[in-house]
Amino acid sequence: MAAAEQQPPPPEGCRPLSALLGGIAQAAYYGKAGITEELLRGQLYPEAAPEEFRALRAKMGGLLQSIASADMDLNQLEAFLTAQTKKQGGITSDQAAVIAKFWKNHRIKIRESLINQSRWDNVLKNMNWRVDMKSQSRHIDQINTPVAIVEMELGKNGQESEFLCLEFDEAKVNQMLKKLSEIEESMTLLTQTT
Amino acid sequence: MAAAGKAVAYGHGESGGGRGGFLGARVPAEVEAMARAVRELDKETFRRLLKVTVNALEGKDCKESVKLIAESTNLSEEQLAFLISGMYTLLREALRLPLSTFKQEVFKEDLKELRIPEDFITDFSSIVFGNRRPVSEGTALTQRSRLPGVQDFKWRVDVAISTSSLARALQPSILMLLKLSDGTAHRFEVPVAKFQELRYNVALILKEMNDLEKRSILKIQD
Repeated sequence: MAAAEQQPPPPEGCRPLSALLGGIAQAAYYGKAGITEELLRGQLYPEAAPEEFRALRAKMGGLLQSIASADMDLNQLEAFLTAQTKKQGGITSDQAAVIAKFWKNHRIKIRESLINQSRWDNVLKNMNWRVDMKSQSRHIDQINTPVAIVEMELGKNGQESEFLCLEFDEAKVNQMLKKLSEIEESMTLLTQTT
Repeated sequence: MAAAGKAVAYGHGESGGGRGGFLGARVPAEVEAMARAVRELDKETFRRLLKVTVNALEGKDCKESVKLIAESTNLSEEQLAFLISGMYTLLREALRLPLSTFKQEVFKEDLKELRIPEDFITDFSSIVFGNRRPVSEGTALTQRSRLPGVQDFKWRVDVAISTSSLARALQPSILMLLKLSDGTAHRFEVPVAKFQELRYNVALILKEMNDLEKRSILKIQD
């Protein structure tokens, strides 16, 4: 907030544009279906005619999509926005500045959301565990071995989760850890070569 | 909790002199009935019945062998039922106790008190303390109640190159397939951040289990 106050006041028309980009991102990337065109116009551009607003929203939405889909870094973004300002029916340099600022703040979150959009399997959402000491059972008077009870929450976004409850003895936990280390190694290799 | 456990552990160690001994203060009815009926048996029939009982304890199907015994001896169905269920309970309770605290003399003493013939006591004793014991213990281990465990664990690291919403994704993610001992299989994806969390937690579990084993205070043992 303090940093924002030190900057020169944004030119007229920038504040609603920044909010519009936020609204578009909410609807397209953050899964907020309640943010409609009508709502955005009423709140941000009440004086604009519906067709005029629709065109603005479509243009900004398109630009944002191009930027997000290419996951542009700052250089790419600058080149892209400069080209847009020079194009006929493009954007003003003030608008370009607002878009650039918006992307800087939202890039990571939008990218993450886009990656999640291409995830269709169940996802490991959470895990809980507890270590128990088994002491006795009907058939054995003294067991006295620790066991781990692990609960894994698996689910898809927006759907009810499934809970998997598993039991591990020490050898199994060890085995599991070895496998996970193999995975780790394989990922390290991958990220080194890219 | 630990105190109560201790009391139980000491209980069967010292109870040799008391009525019932390792079977508890009150001897199960089927064991009493078996002890009475067994006195009438010849050695061969006794051994055949004992074999059937041991097989049953090891989880094998004994319908056919019991039928054979019923046909070849003059025992009624009721007598057979008493004998087998009594032997079964007696052996099950005896096999349940750890060898470290449960001594052969105590066991023999307890059976003598039930007035089981000396010959048969030797046979019972050789099952509880003899070389069949590891087999019975193995069965007990697999029979005990537990949650499903992981039988097979397969994994794959995927890197999404390009998707409908992202031209260059290049983001690794892990696909895991867990096959469980209850026969079900579960496939799920693990984002990299979650994977690190999973690995950390599994390592932590292992550490906690190791620590727990060092704290021998928790062991209910003499």
